Amino acid sequence: MNTHTVPIGLVPGPVHDRLEALSRAKSWMGWAGYISPAVLETAEFEYFAIRNQTTLFDISPMHKYRITGPGAEAMLNRMVIRDVTRIAPGRVGYVMWCDQDGMVIDDGTLFRLGDADFRLCCQELMYSWLLDAGWGFDVQIIDESHRVAGLSLQGPTSWSLLKEAGLDLGDMKPFDCRQVEPGLMISRTGFTGDLGYELWTGWDGAGALWDRLWAAGRNWGLRAIGYVALNIARIEAGFIAAGMEFQPVHAARRLHRGRTPIELGFGRMVHWDKGHFNGRRALLGQLGKGSRYSLVKVDIAGFKPAHGALIYHRKRREVGYVTSGVWSPTTKRNIALAELKAPYGTTRTDDLWVELYVNEEGRWDRRMLPLTIQDKPFFINPRARATPPGPF
Amino acid sequence: MSGVFDAVVIGAGHNGLAAAATLARAGMRVLVVERAKTVGGMAKTVDWGAGAKGPEIAHLLYNLSPAVTRDLKLSLDTRSLPTIALSPDGAHAVMDGASLIFAAGGMHPQAADYAALHERLCRFAAFLGQLSDKPPPSLAGGLASLRDIGGMARLGLGLKRMGKADMREFLRVILSNAHDLILDELPDGPIAGALAADAVRGVWAGPRGPGSVFTLLYRMGQGGGAALPIGGIGAVTDALARAATTAGAELRFGAGVASVEVEADTVRGVTLEDGTKIAATAVLSSLAPLPSLHLAGAAHFDVETTRRARKVRAKGTVAKLNIVLKSAPDIPGLTDAQTAGRLIVAPSAAYVESAFNPVKYGAVSKHPVIEAVIPSLTDPSLCDGDRQVLSAVVQYVPHTPEGGWTDAGRAALTRRIIDTLAAYMPGLPELIEGKTLLTPADIEHLTGAPGGHWHHAEMSIDQLLTVRPMNGMARYAFGVSGLYLCGASAHPGGDVTGSPGPNAARRLLQERSA
Ligand SMILES: Cc1cc2nc3c(=O)[nH]c(=O)nc-3n(C[C@H](O)[C@H](O)[C@H](O)COP(=O)(O)OP(=O)(O)OC[C@H]3O[C@@H](n4cnc5c(N)ncnc54)[C@H](O)[C@@H]3O)c2cc1C
Repeated sequence: MNTHTVPIGLVPGPVHDRLEALSRAKSWMGWAGYISPAVLETAEFEYFAIRNQTTLFDISPMHKYRITGPGAEAMLNRMVIRDVTRIAPGRVGYVMWCDQDGMVIDDGTLFRLGDADFRLCCQELMYSWLLDAGWGFDVQIIDESHRVAGLSLQGPTSWSLLKEAGLDLGDMKPFDCRQVEPGLMISRTGFTGDLGYELWTGWDGAGALWDRLWAAGRNWGLRAIGYVALNIARIEAGFIAAGMEFQPVHAARRLHRGRTPIELGFGRMVHWDKGHFNGRRALLGQLGKGSRYSLVKVDIAGFKPAHGALIYHRKRREVGYVTSGVWSPTTKRNIALAELKAPYGTTRTDDLWVELYVNEEGRWDRRMLPLTIQDKPFFINPRARATPPGPF
Repeated sequence: MSGVFDAVVIGAGHNGLAAAATLARAGMRVLVVERAKTVGGMAKTVDWGAGAKGPEIAHLLYNLSPAVTRDLKLSLDTRSLPTIALSPDGAHAVMDGASLIFAAGGMHPQAADYAALHERLCRFAAFLGQLSDKPPPSLAGGLASLRDIGGMARLGLGLKRMGKADMREFLRVILSNAHDLILDELPDGPIAGALAADAVRGVWAGPRGPGSVFTLLYRMGQGGGAALPIGGIGAVTDALARAATTAGAELRFGAGVASVEVEADTVRGVTLEDGTKIAATAVLSSLAPLPSLHLAGAAHFDVETTRRARKVRAKGTVAKLNIVLKSAPDIPGLTDAQTAGRLIVAPSAAYVESAFNPVKYGAVSKHPVIEAVIPSLTDPSLCDGDRQVLSAVVQYVPHTPEGGWTDAGRAALTRRIIDTLAAYMPGLPELIEGKTLLTPADIEHLTGAPGGHWHHAEMSIDQLLTVRPMNGMARYAFGVSGLYLCGASAHPGGDVTGSPGPNAARRLLQERSA
């Protein structure tokens, strides 16, 4: 018998048995090769738990890379658009990195574990890119994707829950990270725009960690969630997602599908004066020439989610499309992120319309719905940033 | 010396010097820093002692750009040499321009076919030659490679000289192999062999390799043939050095560059191996992309650039044997004047192709291809008394053979070269007073050229024209603002052409005046 068969199809993640037991919806999806819940019970329950209680989501399928060595800071600083020297040990930075043409390869979170010790978490496979980026620097790069598991604990009662689990993190500020116990690192990070933490442990320890949180969660309304609920929260928070708001340029097969950080609305995150970083020269060129696109937050009339809909100027000229659209249960608005071709979205922001098709009991109708551009995230709540967090 | 130079040029090879002369003539304050003790790089005349001087590495001029000689007002005394295709049966042939005769006199049966082929190749080569004295066409935004040469032609570059039928034929053959092209017109033998050898001299390819037509035409860009500079090849680099210093450039020797200083994505100067800092607003490097990149540091380049620089192919295949002789060797079947010609040992195109095979596996050709010249016969000033120097360019020799170079390996290679020559010069072994073997590894050590490669970077279709030395870096500017490539790795390529240096210099001047 061959004991080394390569698994075919999706494989279970480190807490799959727990998820399987909780799944009523049996609604699974693939995430980086793992079986990941789209919905466990109902998306609505799960969404409201993010905003009113606490939720648990397995983020182990994220790719995790460890970059260590005397050249680690310089190497990452050459790779990403922001200044890594300004991320202190014990802090996490949201980072983006580009190819030589300034097109975004991926975004992710960069954990600075020590002076010369970093972990990069991202959606796309990045090992070979990191090896190339590490050439010429005194660094070691390890793919930790299958060694490190992550659980995301998000919601207003998450701090209280952790306290009950014996982890008092009252002094932890947003984007702090620390080793709280041997083999357990916690960061105050998340993808919901709410109070929340991400817990990182060894692959084999994920089950026990899940159980520990689960046991402490009884009084805090803890609920396991799937991607659908999380996606609503992240759009409310205005966060972009790879494959939605931008096409990771290495994965894009067609020409001109890449987008620059400036076009994605992250121009202010680019630290021009830190020295060279990948794509800097091309991005400088774009500063001179102007962007081709802009990614905007929009509010659409009506309540039908406009995901994927085309956008028109004066109802005639096609100028963009909705990259992610949902009905926002908390703000009671029809919200979306949308990409518009320049100059729409920057200097021309009026008379924009979303084209939607609605099915009224078997009869399809085309609707043009007005759209307004928002400059702030749809969901902002001070509890997300309060330190110490409130004991909800 | 204090103050800021307008440009520091790294390397006093012929390209560095030509770049410096071009910049200094335009009024720039220029410093050339050279690691070695003298000018020349791969184009040097050296003293072998015992009253004999000769070329160290390069020995002949094939395609020196007339534009460079004119613009830099070089006065060079050169003698054009006929090519002698040595034949194992003693029926050697003399190829001189389009003419082909037997060395012993008399019509050569291939004369007419050879003349027609030569004429056609020269016409095509002239077209390529025109592209040499300017940056490669910029195909902004497009996929750049030699496939686009048709596109270039359509851009109108140099179409003047070529009719439609010619252009069609040019495009048909340009990416093909020299072996087929030559054997379409000539039977295999010493004439085909000499042409095949010219096609692949200096590159990692046999005549059956695609792209060998390109390298043949490249070499024939100024009409084909070869010329010997009086004073040795070093006379060319000396003349360039004079042109540079006359125009006000400074040269510094024993001044190896340890690093290129960069601040805010802009070149600030160089630091020498002894720690001396030299400030400059531009740096032109005549080194290949990877060593140039190392000098500035990977952090100043895009990841893609470092990856491409690492992958630039540069496997040297040419060794050099320099021999000091008691007196001129006798070559049965050749007159004294013919003995002074460019002597080619390549009895057939098939011989050349077979010679290439072993190098793929890290071994030396059993029967090497040789281009030999005895410059002292044409230029007696090189040697005292009866002495002569024989300069042999030998292919194919790997950079490092399996197991590395040993004394025994070097001795065996030397013996093989001498035996190969002795087949035509029976008395040769007894005439030898001294000899110096330079393997590709030695050449790399002497000059810094990766792999000891003749062209610093392989002249293959993926590293030519709009992608020379690599995609995105084909027009001399090398990433960091103020940093340029000006050596053989840049367009149009290696050989003592004098083209890349001035092309790079003009790019800098254009940017400064813009
Ligand atoms: C065996 C052989 C025979 C050849 N024969 C011929 C021939 O007969 N005819 C022909 O046309 N071509 C010939 N060539 C090719 C030709 O010699 C080269 O392509 C050409 O000379 C390259 O000139 P260059 O100025 O670009 O570089 P180089 O001549 O290589 O000059 C580079 C210079 O940079 C210097 N340098 C390197 N590193 C540093 C540093 N860190 N700091 C400062 N200086 C540095 C080196 O010392 C060198 O002087 C031959 C090549 C080989 C290998």
